[in-house]
Amino acid sequence: MSSGSDERWGIAHIHASFNNTIITITDETGAETLAKSSGGSVVKQNRDEASPYAAMQMAEVVAEDIMAQGLEGVHVRVRGPGGNLQKNAGPGAQAAIRALARAGLEIGRIEDVTPIPHDGTRPPKNSGF
Amino acid sequence: MKLAITGTPGTGKTTAAQLLEPDVVHLNEVIRERGLYTETDDTRDSRVVDFDQTEAWLAEREPTIVESHLAHHFEAERVVVLRCHPEKLRRRLRERGESEASAEENAEAEALDVILVEALDRHADVYEIDTTDQDPSAVATEINRVLADERKPSAGNVDFTDYL
Ligand SMILES: Nc1ncnc2c1ncn2[C@@H]1O[C@H](COP(=O)(O)OP(=O)(O)O)[C@@H](O)[C@H]1O
Ligand SMILES: [Mg+2]
Repeated sequence: MSSGSDERWGIAHIHASFNNTIITITDETGAETLAKSSGGSVVKQNRDEASPYAAMQMAEVVAEDIMAQGLEGVHVRVRGPGGNLQKNAGPGAQAAIRALARAGLEIGRIEDVTPIPHDGTRPPKNSGF
Repeated sequence: MKLAITGTPGTGKTTAAQLLEPDVVHLNEVIRERGLYTETDDTRDSRVVDFDQTEAWLAEREPTIVESHLAHHFEAERVVVLRCHPEKLRRRLRERGESEASAEENAEAEALDVILVEALDRHADVYEIDTTDQDPSAVATEINRVLADERKPSAGNVDFTDYL
């Protein structure tokens, strides 16, 4: 959790939609993209793009990439409910986080920043899942 | 037949529902007028809806068709989820006078299928309709086909993640 002053950290943005998962790694300010992968790049079938398996494969590839760039760890921001009719939200996101850790990255804060649809009214938090 | 019409704000629920034959409850109006909310979310300029109170209001009135981006949180036999490409949605919401932050958060929610997944989480009979290139009367026709049993449940027909 603690990032020493000599360590370089980044942010792993995990976007999990019904049909797809996208992982983007940025620097700590969010301004510079260091690595990016989407479900379509690791699986052949469209319907597998949002699967935990695809998320895990993508996470392994981007982890290797950013560790080669000198990153020690990442904070994680998860956006989206995740797909493939899984009963729990974000199975792809969970698989991705585990794979990032297994590859040797430190995992810092994990935040759920899923957007909330609103137009003057909005649902209470966590009402969807 | 109890039908819920849901979808991210800006997908055209209110516009299409106004063209339907049976009486439609515009739930967001009801929530505002009857004070069916607990608090306000100032960053989103929104009222946080009281689901228990809203459910009680619906149970008493038993409307046939309910239209709202919250409609799928309540009892229904069929759920129509209207979809619209996030780029177009964002433009529509800006034109409707919503702030850049609101338009952007709704567009991102649409890109991530937030409402579709919530609807599938609770309901078995979900009908996804992509309105991106349809005018309101064509959308109303599709909703009537759902009511008339002329469509099969469907989900996952669009992938808007190119927007992200
Ligand atoms: N099928 C459509 N094609 C083009 N514009 C539309 C369509 N449906 C709605 N609009 C426009 O988009 C905006 C949002 O529509 P509205 O029905 O209020 O959406 P919602 O009730 O889902 O928030 C309005 O300005 C409306 O005129
Ligand atoms: Mg409306």
